[in-house]
Amino acid sequence: MTTKNEPGKTYLMQGNEAIVRGALEGGIHFASSYPGSPSSQVLGMLGHIAEKMGFRAEWSTNETTALQSCMGASFANARSICIVKQNGLLVQSDTIHCGALGGIKGGLVIVSSDDPDSHSSTNEFDSRHLAISANIPLLEPATVQETKDMIPYALELSEELEQMILVRVTTRICHGRGGVKLGELPEKRPFTPIGEWDRMVGINWLHSFLLEKLERARGAFEVSEFNHYNGQEDAKKLIITGGTGMKYTLDALEDIGIQDEVGVLSLGTLWPLPEKLICEYLRKAEKVLVVEEVDPFLEEHIAAIAGKYQIPVEICGRADILPKIGELNPEVVTKALKEFAGVADDAKAPACGGEGCPAAEGLAIPERELTFCAGCPHRASFFILKQALRREGNHGVVMGDIGCYTMAGQRAGQYGYHFMSCMGSGISAAEGLGQLTNYGFDQPVVSLCGDSTFFHTVVPGLINAKMNNANILHIVLDNSATAMTGFQPHPGTGETAMGYETEKISIQALCESLGCRVWTADPFDVEETTQLITDLIRTKGLKVLILLQPCATLAAKTREKKKVWVDTDKCRGDNCGCDRYCSRVWGCPGNVWDFEKDCAAIDEVVCVGCGVCAKICPAGAIQVEEPDGAKAEKGGEA
Amino acid sequence: MLSILELERKVVKTDLCTNCGACQGMCPYWRSYEGRTFVDYECDRKEGRCKYFCPRMPADLDALMGKFFNAADVIPQLGPVKELYLTRAADPEIRANAQHGGTVTALVELALAEGFIDAAVLSKAGAAGEADGSGTLDPAGCLVTDPAEVRKCGGSSFQIPPTMAVLNEALKDDVYKNIGVVGTPCKTLAAYKMMAKPFEDNENNADNIGMVFGLFCGWGLDWKGMEAFGDGAHVDILPSKYHRMDLDDKQIDLDEVLPLVRKNCNYCYDMTAEFADLSVGGARSSEGWDVDKGWNQLIVRSEKGQKLVELAREKGVLEFRSFGDADAKAAAFDKLKKAAASKKAKAVEALLEQGSDLGYLEPSRKAFEEYIK
Repeated sequence: MTTKNEPGKTYLMQGNEAIVRGALEGGIHFASSYPGSPSSQVLGMLGHIAEKMGFRAEWSTNETTALQSCMGASFANARSICIVKQNGLLVQSDTIHCGALGGIKGGLVIVSSDDPDSHSSTNEFDSRHLAISANIPLLEPATVQETKDMIPYALELSEELEQMILVRVTTRICHGRGGVKLGELPEKRPFTPIGEWDRMVGINWLHSFLLEKLERARGAFEVSEFNHYNGQEDAKKLIITGGTGMKYTLDALEDIGIQDEVGVLSLGTLWPLPEKLICEYLRKAEKVLVVEEVDPFLEEHIAAIAGKYQIPVEICGRADILPKIGELNPEVVTKALKEFAGVADDAKAPACGGEGCPAAEGLAIPERELTFCAGCPHRASFFILKQALRREGNHGVVMGDIGCYTMAGQRAGQYGYHFMSCMGSGISAAEGLGQLTNYGFDQPVVSLCGDSTFFHTVVPGLINAKMNNANILHIVLDNSATAMTGFQPHPGTGETAMGYETEKISIQALCESLGCRVWTADPFDVEETTQLITDLIRTKGLKVLILLQPCATLAAKTREKKKVWVDTDKCRGDNCGCDRYCSRVWGCPGNVWDFEKDCAAIDEVVCVGCGVCAKICPAGAIQVEEPDGAKAEKGGEA
Repeated sequence: MLSILELERKVVKTDLCTNCGACQGMCPYWRSYEGRTFVDYECDRKEGRCKYFCPRMPADLDALMGKFFNAADVIPQLGPVKELYLTRAADPEIRANAQHGGTVTALVELALAEGFIDAAVLSKAGAAGEADGSGTLDPAGCLVTDPAEVRKCGGSSFQIPPTMAVLNEALKDDVYKNIGVVGTPCKTLAAYKMMAKPFEDNENNADNIGMVFGLFCGWGLDWKGMEAFGDGAHVDILPSKYHRMDLDDKQIDLDEVLPLVRKNCNYCYDMTAEFADLSVGGARSSEGWDVDKGWNQLIVRSEKGQKLVELAREKGVLEFRSFGDADAKAAAFDKLKKAAASKKAKAVEALLEQGSDLGYLEPSRKAFEEYIK
């Protein structure tokens, strides 16, 4: 449905699909991305239809290269879209600032998806601030329809202003669904040759042009249809919303029954703010509530506008009656609206989506930690690493990175992380810490990254570590996939977004070409790899260990599943000598506890048949059979 | 408190742990690497065999001794003693590889051959990772069933491998019903703690322990640092006046060796392996070391031990040497008692320095009262 040329027809679409559709209606020539939730699917979908629709879609090694590729395409007057998550936008920060200074030719839109409450992130950073810092226009849709509509609008405006435009979306937009009325799919516009004296150069003498473009955007925003007002024209109580704040507010007003007393100004053009429009409503109001996701971005700038134009109005929002952090939900917005409108509220204040949240009442959802999938090689890797480090009298320090393995900070990975920051940070932080071993610090330092992260930002860190003679063990957890975000291709997988084959880049060869000493091992060879890590920890200098084992979810699709079962006669259960080692310590979701029989069991649905639990079972009670019924591996004895 | 936490707090973190291995080989939680015992992952049981089997967890040692030995045989400094001999292996091949006279090797061979035991848990110098098992570095415990294999485990590495983990594994397997175990005093005490079956419904087949051979021990050495001396086949610590350790032909000043002494050895009260059927050490008779070189002194502590020694005499497996007259034997006894008492006094002093009471010896306080200054 994203490719159908049926103007006026309405389809139910996910927000991420609406972004794809919007890009098509905007006539893009080029799309690029590095995967990041909640917008990971967008480029995958674009990749599938790119060939058919005649544009180029590609996965980039990181967000900076993604945006720079778009800028290159834009130079030939191609329209492009770059999709990132909030962290990705921050990775692009330098490129955005310099790129904004130089301006663009063909329309260029960056879609940044924020993740309030950090459902699938390590943070809930608010992308919007970057627009101010880089002096670029910022839009945010309130509905799935607006999401679709905003992309072609932004591409058009971007071209008009010769400036890149940031569109901020949030998880509920990306993953939510709504009716979308399709627009027309345009004819592809030809490229423009780049003349001898054409320039796209980011240099400070363009600073004033940068600000002029922003003022032109403000002019357009004053009359933009993405800003709309609901309710009585001269309402004394005004609610200003950004993004999903509008829907929450309209629903809550209806629930409370005060929709006639208040006015709702929904803003879609967030920077530069349409000051005239805002002033018009502020002047009528006595009291303003700002409802927006995460930071009090609009709240503070509206307060500034009120101050600038000396409008006596009380402004509240995230600073006081809404929670300072976390995602909005119907309960917190309802509660805040009641307080704002002076309606009695006897319900206990629930935290954003947290405990006591009435939306979840009556649903017996068990509390679960994030964990690795059944058969995940990372579980074995961290199990091994913990054993190797415990062999050292003074435990080593593990500097982690971003990927599925970030969950190693929890039980899934034996609480295996001491440090975790942003993409690529593990190896460089380890390099710095490891240098202290030359000055009396005497703990072994280990850093970790995944294969996709390796290509994303670890390579410069590895070169830095090599150049500076680092004293660290760097482990690449190579599961041959960008697993966390849904198996997008990366330079090591040998395929591209559009499905073409490309030459695989070997992590081992790359590391060796830098002069690094490289070892490879299989995390499923528990004993051998534990010994190897023990030895490497004790070897001075920079060591790279690649732990190779494909992601279990990928492997399960191609490998015939071995049957794993528990010999209940041998199982020691929770007696002294085992204490539920498989289900309690190893912790694979496939290893469960049979409360009726009081012994270990395998969840056959979840189990992928990797058989590693048979190697660690202290009683040799876990049996593994090849698909044809032959016994595959004898259970180990400890 | 969790069993592993209690053991960690009372024994491992206080440097009392001897790395004997008694807590290991039964479960996946306790492990040992290069002479250090540690927890791999946390077990959440409150009651575990580990803490009951540990020779450094508080226990009433007098009661334990009363359970297995004849009270009339007990000499305060030396434990139960039925007889004291000077012996050596008759086979010169055994002696060639022995620290002293090869008595233990000869006795274990005999015990296996004659069915006193059906398997033996021994320590093999350089066994871990070394195919030929020779050398002093990185010793490990091993299970031996062929008498011919016993002599490969002769000699001493002066390190304390977690041999009792091998015993625990063998007991768990329940294949051998009469296992002999050779060990330093910490290990033999653990063996008797196991045989006392403190953990009623989960005793790990402790009845399968058939005989216990104790080794006299002054102290053991740490793993780390040993490699500095290089590998060798034969180690001996000479009597104190020489102040030296011999490693094959190398003579090493004891000052270089002493920093490697395991801290836990300072807290050990037992020089002669009081819990054992037979205990064996280097001969240190009043006539002097040069005369005794190549001989063992052998304490017989139980009837079973006595039977094996008598058989060894009959079969000519052991050679016996007289102490001389009764006075000379009494002098040898006195020398041994004095040395053993000195070890007890040092242990008491070290324990009192560390804590407010005698720690693991507190339940047996009465027996150590005389050493409290």
